[in-house]
Amino acid sequence: MATLQVEHLRKTFPAIERGSGPTTAIDDLTFEIGGHVFVSVVGPSGCGKSTLLNIVSGIETATRGSVTVSQDGRPARLGYVFQEPRLLPWRTVDQNMRYVLDGDDVRSRVEEYLRMVGLRDSGDKFPGQLSGGMQQRVGIARAFAVEPDLLLMDEPFSHLDAITARSLREQLQAIWTEAKKTVLFVTHDIAEAVQLSNRVLILAPGGRLYADVPIDLPYPRRASDHDVAMAQAELLGRFETMQEEADAADVTDVAS
Amino acid sequence: MSSATVAASSRAPGRGPNRIGQVFRSDGFARFASYVFLLVLWQLLSLYEERFPPPAEVFGFLWTEVTGGSHGGVVRGEFWEHFAATLPRFTIGIAISMLLGVLTGVLIGGSKAAEALLKDTLLMLVALPAIIWAFLTQMWLGLGDYAVVITTFLSAFPFVAVNVVQGIQAVPRDLRRMSGAFHIAGYRRLRHLLLPAVAGYLFAGLRFAVIIGWNAVLLGEWFSSSEGVGWRSRYWYDANRYQGFVAWVVAFIAFIVLLDRLVLVRLQRRAFRWRDAQLSDMERQADEIDVGVTGA
Repeated sequence: MATLQVEHLRKTFPAIERGSGPTTAIDDLTFEIGGHVFVSVVGPSGCGKSTLLNIVSGIETATRGSVTVSQDGRPARLGYVFQEPRLLPWRTVDQNMRYVLDGDDVRSRVEEYLRMVGLRDSGDKFPGQLSGGMQQRVGIARAFAVEPDLLLMDEPFSHLDAITARSLREQLQAIWTEAKKTVLFVTHDIAEAVQLSNRVLILAPGGRLYADVPIDLPYPRRASDHDVAMAQAELLGRFETMQEEADAADVTDVAS
Repeated sequence: MSSATVAASSRAPGRGPNRIGQVFRSDGFARFASYVFLLVLWQLLSLYEERFPPPAEVFGFLWTEVTGGSHGGVVRGEFWEHFAATLPRFTIGIAISMLLGVLTGVLIGGSKAAEALLKDTLLMLVALPAIIWAFLTQMWLGLGDYAVVITTFLSAFPFVAVNVVQGIQAVPRDLRRMSGAFHIAGYRRLRHLLLPAVAGYLFAGLRFAVIIGWNAVLLGEWFSSSEGVGWRSRYWYDANRYQGFVAWVVAFIAFIVLLDRLVLVRLQRRAFRWRDAQLSDMERQADEIDVGVTGA
């Protein structure tokens, strides 16, 4: 398990149209996570959630500040679950898993993680032969199978129907409890964040850290649990307050 | 469930009184009819133009080329010998085209600098007809295998490269980013991401290469050889034996059609097994969605 340190991170994108200024996706963001934790980042769309993941994974570079993933001196291994499954359609489930794996124990790892997501018997299927939810489970198995020090998940259930998403959330808790990984999970769904995480980071529009909320409830958590529902309602309240403040700030901006 | 019903109903239009009508509407019958039509047209043409020999004469000539006999002087059956001379030249020319075509295509498709440097040259090569190469190689290299193989290669190669470039540029961005996030590079990325994504374009390139290359090998032999299918066509052409010339034209058209139908189409189907598996599995997939949800 790794430590992720984000210090005074800032990311701006150059203006798309002439006349408008550069857009700020992330603004002076500082936090640290490590150990067997499940941390969610929530925020309204356009607040730089996905940009944060892209910077952590090295796809994009920071404008200012730093992101460090450390793991007792050696470079940390990252796993990634995307919004869509992103499987190679011309390779079987087994081959898709092997595509990202190295080492002597590839075969046992493929078996182990496919079993964990309940797809032990689907190894020789092509992705097109599986339902959307099963494909996303393969994507999750693939990310866990690289045995990452830090697992990044970018709204992995947002493209699935509600019933499939609910059952995958429960499975994900079981896998995370068993595999003991550090997870950074991005979502726009506050209820989902509360159900899954030990800790929720709320980003405000403009990419500032608005609140850092611990969720101290035992796992497994079901969406129907009373405590979970209470925590969800409370966080949703804080989220709405934040949005009202942001809207009010916008109005003063326009007025001045 | 609804997708299963659709699949089932679209699969069962065969029953009913219209069996004979179905034969006439089948692909096989359409193909057969097109051959008959061509033969009839050919026969009619030959009635009006004596330098256009009728089908019976041409096929008779072809038969004598295969078995030996008399074309008005006794000849040996040399048909297979000439094919045996042409095929290695053709195969080597196509093999080099594929190899260098894929390499060039990957280079141009993968690097902006290489694209700027080479793409226009490649387009010029595509535009050059095979006969130019047949003339040039004959001037440079004289008679022999080299001129023929190089004509074949130079004519077919740009079509492979152009198709591979298009294929590489069409590799899904999502999958490229996924590979990047998992740090997959080099040979593994080439083999599992690039090549399969390009396979469709590669097969289009191969089919082009085979057809263009086959024309080129015949032209090459016409000018630079003393054996082979192209040379034999010219031999009878120079001897004013039009039925002999046309007989060889028929033979090499038959060869290319058979090669396409029997080899290339099958190879293509094999490479796209994953797509077929997907289609034939539609119904089972509909069931598995249910199982996936209740079993989870």
